[in-house]
Amino acid sequence: MNRLNRRTFVVSALAAGGGLTLSISDAHATRTADEFTPWLTIGSDDTVTVRVATPEIGNGAMTQCAMTVAEELGCAWSHIRTEFAPVNRNYMEGDTFGKADDYLVYFGGRSTGALRMETLLQAGASARERLKAAAAARWKVPVGEIEADESVLTHRVSGRTLRYGEVAALAANVTLAHEPALKPQAQWTLLGKAAPSKLNNADIVMGKAQYGMDVRLPGMLYAALMQAPVQGGRLQWVDAEAVRGMPGVHSVVVVDPTEPRGPRQAKAPFTLDYSAPQSAVAVVADHYWQARKALEALPVVWEAGDGAQWKTTDQLKTAALEACEQPSKVEKSVGDAEAAFATPGGRTVEAAYLTPYCDHATMEPLNGTALVAKDRVDVWHPAQQTQMTFAIAVEETGVPPQNVHIHQTFVGGGFGRRVFGDDVRMVLAVARKVPGRPVHVIWSREESMRQGRYRPLQAVKLTARLADDGMPVALRARYSGRGLFPMGMSDTALMSGLIPNVRIESATLPLHILTGPYRGPGYNSHAFFLESFIDECAAAAGADPLDYRLRLLAKWPDPAWAKCLQTVAKESGWGERTPRGEGRGIAISNWSMGGKPRAGTTCAAVARVAVTPQGELSVKQIDVAFDCGRIVNRDAVLAQLEGGSVFGLNMSLNEALNIENGRIVEGNFHEYPMLRMADMPKIRCHFGGLSGHDRFTELGEPPVGPVGPAIANAIFAATGKRIRQTPFRNQDLAWS
Amino acid sequence: MSKAITVNGRALAVDADSETPLLWVLRDHLGLTGTKYGCGIGQCGACTVHLDGAPVRSCQIPLGAVDAPVTTIEALSFDGSHPLQLAWVSLNVPQCGYCQTGFLMAADALLKAIPNPSDADIDAALTNICRCGTYDRIRAGVHRAAAGREA
Ligand code: FES
Ligand code: FES
Repeated sequence: MNRLNRRTFVVSALAAGGGLTLSISDAHATRTADEFTPWLTIGSDDTVTVRVATPEIGNGAMTQCAMTVAEELGCAWSHIRTEFAPVNRNYMEGDTFGKADDYLVYFGGRSTGALRMETLLQAGASARERLKAAAAARWKVPVGEIEADESVLTHRVSGRTLRYGEVAALAANVTLAHEPALKPQAQWTLLGKAAPSKLNNADIVMGKAQYGMDVRLPGMLYAALMQAPVQGGRLQWVDAEAVRGMPGVHSVVVVDPTEPRGPRQAKAPFTLDYSAPQSAVAVVADHYWQARKALEALPVVWEAGDGAQWKTTDQLKTAALEACEQPSKVEKSVGDAEAAFATPGGRTVEAAYLTPYCDHATMEPLNGTALVAKDRVDVWHPAQQTQMTFAIAVEETGVPPQNVHIHQTFVGGGFGRRVFGDDVRMVLAVARKVPGRPVHVIWSREESMRQGRYRPLQAVKLTARLADDGMPVALRARYSGRGLFPMGMSDTALMSGLIPNVRIESATLPLHILTGPYRGPGYNSHAFFLESFIDECAAAAGADPLDYRLRLLAKWPDPAWAKCLQTVAKESGWGERTPRGEGRGIAISNWSMGGKPRAGTTCAAVARVAVTPQGELSVKQIDVAFDCGRIVNRDAVLAQLEGGSVFGLNMSLNEALNIENGRIVEGNFHEYPMLRMADMPKIRCHFGGLSGHDRFTELGEPPVGPVGPAIANAIFAATGKRIRQTPFRNQDLAWS
Repeated sequence: MSKAITVNGRALAVDADSETPLLWVLRDHLGLTGTKYGCGIGQCGACTVHLDGAPVRSCQIPLGAVDAPVTTIEALSFDGSHPLQLAWVSLNVPQCGYCQTGFLMAADALLKAIPNPSDADIDAALTNICRCGTYDRIRAGVHRAAAGREA
């Protein structure tokens, strides 16, 4: 009945598209007649639509949510489709979608959180029982005689059947006396059993999937953006007149971060400070190329600000390493590490490590589209966190939340880059200066790479005291960096029980470079530091790196850790002899355990490498084993493990950004290399580490941890050289 | 300033500066958004199309230099039934999917040149970037499509 509230934008592409029609519909702003719950509608043609409060960034989260509903609903897989849950409705109806889970993760990227799964299973079960009740009423038979399967209701006694769609409208209005109980997991037929291809694959392979970059609206203008090249800098002077006459140019927009903005009226999962506007200029034109050419020609002078003090990358690295030499803020202290170090006897191992700034380099460059009118805002955006997008749009435009509408698009890679919403902030800051016209703001690849919210640079000095048996009795870690770098550093197994005396300190450096979450924030560096260092301890103790780790884990109350290690060791041929210049390395880490056993996802890796005497490294094979408790989709799990391993591989081998006079140097893939098909080692993912514990934890981040240190440890095995910084391509690996 | 080009079998007149890269002509002037922008400097291959049947990086070709018919992903098949597309879906190749149309166009050109490519052929022909790391599955997809064609 409320279909009239549904605004639909339909844009016909030009003739060359062979009749291709792009349509972007405003998701249902209010309850629709065919709705069973806000999560689920069933049409008279049997189409089941699942509303998903999770952007599709490539991990299959939307498909997973559909599978979860289908498990209880008993619908045919071919009848199911998904759409994005509208965040505006969530706001208007007091957290309709968000209250089913911690709002921190709602409208975020995960699909298998316990409460989220329960909500969707319940939505499916409830709809199934209401369909049965409607059929029972139609046939005037007891509901207990009706079965529901493959979108068909069957009366067991008479053999009569009805399609779901035939009674859907009736069923949507049925109220159950009580909600049905969910099937026990052992009776699941889809989850854990089936692995359907992602629902949007068919559109992807035809070029029809609509990413943020593909939004096309009537009257749309394009903007090319340039933010202060030294982050935190300010625009000093711009000569807009100089480009006004260039072809297609509509206007030059200046973004001033000090201008007043609206009140913060909508709940946000993270502080909106993370999305603070940056000083910027943008050229708005009829077409992107025109905007870009005019931006390149635009005379502009920037004031660099404090960041210019960092003249070179080495200056920065030196400062980070030096900061680890002094005591700093205590993050965690267990037992008495200093007393252990002061006790004579045993042996001390000490080493300093460093990881550089890295950019997410999502294949889809940053972009977004907004139409800001006086009393309504529409945003089409490839967000990783739609609720964040909403809150930012409300603040940036000052338009009340009830009139702000976010249209989530597909996302061409996230990896954490599109969570905090600095991108949509800039889109809106530009678009509000061109009111009444949709403006599609595009970061060039160079702008995307030089205006990142980077994996922070961080350094650490690690000091361990080994007892006479070679095992560590005390560990001190002094970190330095700025931004999210301390995240998770205290929560690793080593720091949560494996070593009796632990002290962690952190020093914050006066760095201006902006940072953010990057596939496994904090974790992607900490795993490298700790797993390389444990290898150093094993070597100091004269122990095999695998045996040493197993001994460390002997008292750890989560046996899956050892199981993961044993699995990768067995599968990789651990212990078999290798010629000089070749070697294996092992590592294990856990993403999101929060200091607890049987939590988060544990991931172990063995890498086999060859290093020529001249120092040329080739990674031959990577074996990975993991424990996320249980799995609901084997192929989706594999895809994440494969992709995450490649991500960890590229990060460790290739990625580093340099600083020159406060600016980021690298702007494109010729300077910030990516592994390609021909560079791929054999990556083998094994299921032997799975514990069956009752949880379904993340798979995207975990492999990013152990792959790098496994390679560094393999390089040591091959050459006797310890590599304590990434990327490995910049290290001298030559041996003789 | 109008320039005549042929795209997906249709003769079109494009009103754009002759320096405009074919990529942006396709995306912004013709609404063919299946061809993607990834780097703009010929590095990533997300913008791969066929020019006279050969794979090219459309970000590197100015409109003025387009002197042969252009084929984009929208015409690889009109219904998703190309063997590569079928293989991609059944092997669940894409993750975010943004790079995949470029890979598919490069793979199609490869299969036309070498119907049954070896791994080395694939390494040499598919030099595109996939940040999601789907390389193994892309390789498997090419082999599957090649096998299907032979059958
Ligand atoms: S966009 Fe053309 S090669 Fe990257
Ligand atoms: S599938 Fe995401 S970049 Fe290739």
